[in-house]
Amino acid sequence: MYDRMQELGKEQMTRIHDASMDILKNTGVIFNEEEALEIFKKNGFRIDGKIVFFEEKDVEQALKTVPKRFRVYARNPEKDVEIGEDDFVFVPGYGAPYVITPQGDQREATMEDYDNFCKLVHSSKHINMNGWMMVEPSDMPHETVHLDLNLSNILLCDKAFMGSPVSRAGAVEGLEMAAIAWGGKEKIMDKPVSVSLINSLSPLQFSDEMAGSLIELARHGQACVIASLIMAGASGPVTLDGVAALQNAEILAGVTLSQLVRQGAPVIYGSTSSAMDMRTGALSIGAPELSMNISFTAQMARFYNMPSRSGGGLTDSLFPDAQAGIESALALYTAARNGINFMLHSCGILGSYIAMSYEKFLLDEETCGLIRHMFRPTPVSDDSIDAEMIKSVGIGGQYLTHPKTFKLCRTELYMTDLMSRMNYDAWTKAGKKRIDQVAEDKVSQRLAAYERPDIDPGIEKDLTAYVAAKKNG
Amino acid sequence: MSDLKTITETLLTGDGEKVAELTQAALDAGLSAKEILNQGLIAGMDIVGARMESGEMFIPEVLMSAQAMGGAVEILKPLLSDEDAAGGGTIVLGTVKGDLHDIGKNLVSMMMESAGFKVVNMGVDIDPDAFIQAIKDNDADILALSALLTTTMPMMAQTIKSIEESGLRDKVKILVGGAPVNQSYADEIGADGYAPDAGSASKLAKALLA
Repeated sequence: MYDRMQELGKEQMTRIHDASMDILKNTGVIFNEEEALEIFKKNGFRIDGKIVFFEEKDVEQALKTVPKRFRVYARNPEKDVEIGEDDFVFVPGYGAPYVITPQGDQREATMEDYDNFCKLVHSSKHINMNGWMMVEPSDMPHETVHLDLNLSNILLCDKAFMGSPVSRAGAVEGLEMAAIAWGGKEKIMDKPVSVSLINSLSPLQFSDEMAGSLIELARHGQACVIASLIMAGASGPVTLDGVAALQNAEILAGVTLSQLVRQGAPVIYGSTSSAMDMRTGALSIGAPELSMNISFTAQMARFYNMPSRSGGGLTDSLFPDAQAGIESALALYTAARNGINFMLHSCGILGSYIAMSYEKFLLDEETCGLIRHMFRPTPVSDDSIDAEMIKSVGIGGQYLTHPKTFKLCRTELYMTDLMSRMNYDAWTKAGKKRIDQVAEDKVSQRLAAYERPDIDPGIEKDLTAYVAAKKNG
Repeated sequence: MSDLKTITETLLTGDGEKVAELTQAALDAGLSAKEILNQGLIAGMDIVGARMESGEMFIPEVLMSAQAMGGAVEILKPLLSDEDAAGGGTIVLGTVKGDLHDIGKNLVSMMMESAGFKVVNMGVDIDPDAFIQAIKDNDADILALSALLTTTMPMMAQTIKSIEESGLRDKVKILVGGAPVNQSYADEIGADGYAPDAGSASKLAKALLA
């Protein structure tokens, strides 16, 4: 199939790989974490202080045991998700400290906001997994907020969720809570029930929190995204090719650690590297370089037979306006089309990750629905073509009253919940509403109609008691 | 009474065979054709119209219900007086001279038929004189004109002018519709009403004759 988006040939991908191997072997990567350094040392890696140097054979060995796909189990088995190869998931925004209101005002996010986003994910037709830290609640103590987020994730939504990589201890607490929900740690040891986000610190470092979390999560069979977020021209080279080599080195370093901890631990090759805006010095995630890198990320992950992560509904705009729509749709579409498997930040993000917006959440969610539909393969069978029907309707006939149209009119074509398809008069009569205004109405309706999913009362009691005990201890 | 309710509910599913069966059964049980038409079928189509407007029912489903209604009316027709059969009145409808589009107009035709109007669907590319003749022949209460092209919209104005000249203008209400048409154009050319879609067209027709 002809595709204008740049396809990397095997030779080009090998060149990127070789450059990464050169960087890993000669410059190395800092791991600010004692156990990580011990693990590398025990496996015969060359270490200088906190710098770990990698030989190509060690990386290749790790890549051999990485699963190319895996399932993440949800509290509701109907909502289990598959990640890898042709299967992909949309996952909401992550890490925003603020909420931008429908009036365009920025305010600090609260725990109530976090719960509301859990509710929206639960009732979403298009978002396949719950996130983590969708907003950072300012009204909760920083030291224990991860417990509250885990609890809301489990109680308010029955989809698979992301885990807490705040620190080694935070990761362990997340694991213990998941163990309560699934009836024992042994029940989740070989069964991922969470995916956690492990970020490198570009260039070429891993913090103690991230490396410690990665070790605990991999050890307990929980999935991790190992991701790099390079700002081209600031925390990485200004050229996209240079970024590809640098992020590849960082990701492979993390992947190698995960497989040293536990062979076969499910990990995802991740990047949302983009450009720095050269006029302001700000990170730009609405830049076309983001989408170009998304495509490279998907291709390099396939080069290593790994699932990939990128995203999402990303924008620099501070309001759910046309800029937000353009930038988010381009990035989401590129990610889905190029084969990204885990699309983090699929919905809600505004202002280069600074804020979540309820209205933007709904807009992006709709984009996810459109995209999922676009990539639905058609059968191209005699039945789906149905030349007999076309001949029988004949010249100048119509298909509106044909039984086949009646039968398929709800399932064959995508029905939008949000986009306006009204004529001018109907639109005028409905108040000439912009899409963000339509979304604002729908947010309240969705939250009002939300019903909490069932959970075993014993499990709920144990989870709540666990959180209370940790907070008091 | 429950028979009529079942007819109404079945009509909403678009199952024409079943609606015809139930209609016959209701007649056999001694209900009058007029009752069945008004309280069973037209009551059902009123719900269909409302659900179409709210987006709950899709157009192919609306048309399936309308066809089911049409089938049942065929059974009832021999038993209805002319007045009852025409229900709300008689509508002459067509696409104006120079314009060959008919899907939207046919949709309007079916919606009006199922709302209880007698509809004379003249087809496409109809010149003003043919409309005038049809109004006379059918003693029409309403003339509904369709145009999809901005280039054929002026033919709506001309058709209305011809009807004025023929002296029939006071006898019929004129409705206009089609993608480029809007309320202000309808006002400008002296039409009695404009509807943006088939559901509201039949509602408007009812209102104009009430």
